[in-house]
Amino acid sequence: MLRTDEILSTIQMLHAEHLDVRSVTLAINVEDCVAPSVDHLCRKLRQKIISRASRLVEICQRVGAKYGIPVINKRLAISPAAALLAGHGRAAAIAVAKTLDAAAAECGVDFVGGFTALVHKGITAGDEVVIQSLPEVLSQTERVCASVNVASRRAGINMDAVHQMGHVLLRIAQATADRRGFGCAKLVIFANIPEDNPFMAGAHCGAGEPEAAVNIGVSGPGVVGSALKRRLALGDKLTLGDLAEEIKITSFRVTRVGELIGREVAKELGVAFGIVDLSLAPTPMVGDSVGEILRTLGIERIGAPGSTAAIAMLNDAVKKGGLFASSSVGGLSGAFIPVSEDAALADAVGQGHLVLEKLEAMTSVCSVGLDMIAIPGDTPAETIAAIIADEMAIGVVNDKTTACRLIPVPGAKAGDVVNFGGLFGATPVIEVRNPGASSAFVRFGGRIPAPVHSLKN
Amino acid sequence: MKTRYPHTYVLNVMSEDHPGIVAAVSQSVEALDGNIDACSQTVLRGYFTLIMIVSTPMPIDPEQLAEKVRAAGGASRYQVMVRAATATEGYVAVEPCDRFVITAFGKDQPGIVRRFSQYLAGKDINIVDLYGDRSGEEFVLIGQVEIPAHWDIRMLQADLEEMGNELGFTVKLQHENIFVATNQLRLTRAPQGSLQYATYR
Repeated sequence: MLRTDEILSTIQMLHAEHLDVRSVTLAINVEDCVAPSVDHLCRKLRQKIISRASRLVEICQRVGAKYGIPVINKRLAISPAAALLAGHGRAAAIAVAKTLDAAAAECGVDFVGGFTALVHKGITAGDEVVIQSLPEVLSQTERVCASVNVASRRAGINMDAVHQMGHVLLRIAQATADRRGFGCAKLVIFANIPEDNPFMAGAHCGAGEPEAAVNIGVSGPGVVGSALKRRLALGDKLTLGDLAEEIKITSFRVTRVGELIGREVAKELGVAFGIVDLSLAPTPMVGDSVGEILRTLGIERIGAPGSTAAIAMLNDAVKKGGLFASSSVGGLSGAFIPVSEDAALADAVGQGHLVLEKLEAMTSVCSVGLDMIAIPGDTPAETIAAIIADEMAIGVVNDKTTACRLIPVPGAKAGDVVNFGGLFGATPVIEVRNPGASSAFVRFGGRIPAPVHSLKN
Repeated sequence: MKTRYPHTYVLNVMSEDHPGIVAAVSQSVEALDGNIDACSQTVLRGYFTLIMIVSTPMPIDPEQLAEKVRAAGGASRYQVMVRAATATEGYVAVEPCDRFVITAFGKDQPGIVRRFSQYLAGKDINIVDLYGDRSGEEFVLIGQVEIPAHWDIRMLQADLEEMGNELGFTVKLQHENIFVATNQLRLTRAPQGSLQYATYR
């Protein structure tokens, strides 16, 4: 029998602290949709997605209602589109993207990830088609999300691809200039891309994954922030160790909820249960913020000295709680710091407390990278590429996933505020220092060799 | 109901709470060569209540046991009731049930427990545990219930929420596994239809 205090504490998490399941992402292998004719390929793709995913939203709602836990986002991820597009041209890429867009709408999901190319060691013809079609794909579709893996712990950093992505980002921004370069918000450039990530825009159904699987993103930072505030309000003399313990316990609870819902959704859909991703993904909603957690931990201005240590502690405590709660942890599993999507971080950028270099330092100890950062529209392609290269180096050397989601906002200067709307939020454009000063480095191209994985100092 | 001895009685004691009640009651049971087969106590706002299943090797007069317990309580003036236990098993639902938790919060007013319990009774939903408490102007009601599998949970939720709206209460009906998952280290139990939910003994 459950105890009354147990019931009351869960009710508190649900109603006062907005415990939810952030994302249920159905990953579907679509490699068997390849066909010589584009029409046939698109028909197979639509058929496969609809047959697998048409019940996803209804099932999430039913299971969510049974437990009284809302499932906020329902999404799809497919195997990398580059495999489908080998032997086809850019027109086929756009047709495939539009098919994905329409199929996602038909299933009632807000995003479909997997317009993906894995180019960490080299670029195939299919990869080239994916990358070159990104400006059209991301400007002509609503729901399609793209990712490009340009670096890995075993291959190093493909600087040709990094350089190319610098130019492609500017082209995407131009193609979506009427929406302040919003197309770039649907593209993530990765080092060590995970195969089972449920979060957008980087979700895809990676190599080694089953035919179909449900991957879960757990609740957001709001629950952890509230738990910390409640603990501090008790007024005891607390150490950082005590606060880490509180984060750990909260993470345990949200992970258990995620796994409970995920397993039941997977069972009802008749597919495998994949992983629970422990990431704390903020939203622009007040209180649902990683930045606010840093403030609660005593960092008055986010970006001040101590910010990196504080987020390292948060990230680690979340993992420890989550790993005990579930044996199926995967994906990105870390605290995200997406600037426009986190009101406290965006505010810190606006106040000049948080700069690009400090964000980069923080990503060396948390997930997932330089995320949802608006930069001036006139930033040179080589400088964008160099920012990407720096972030990739952190991932490759530290044996972790890192990523960039940079938005060069056409016509915008540092300090201008851009609003991408909805979950994407609003942010001031951040200053990029020393533009143009790394061009020669980037233009060398080639591959930065894989780093040594011993002698770790 | 398997007890140690063949003659079984149910014993109920109510008193103001203080140390020594269980000691006094169990001593009285032992004095009649009885065995305590099961017991459960609850203390609510200073009042103690105890229910025991007691078995004896030879038949006894239930009133004799009650009198012995009252005497053991002395000045504490226990209210005691004993009767022969005849029920062979508890309430048995006619179909598989799944266990849910109802929580209701709102401004206290007479009739809250009646409204919710009448609704549940009308749907053959058994209440297996109930907690209610008034604190300030607020009343909180928590019921752990067994819901027959044929009911559509979302329809029950809609009814309860509507009733909550009429009373100015926030009402939730949630599967018990969400509370197990967030509070306990044990695995959550199998979803609905599992036979272990079928009866409550």
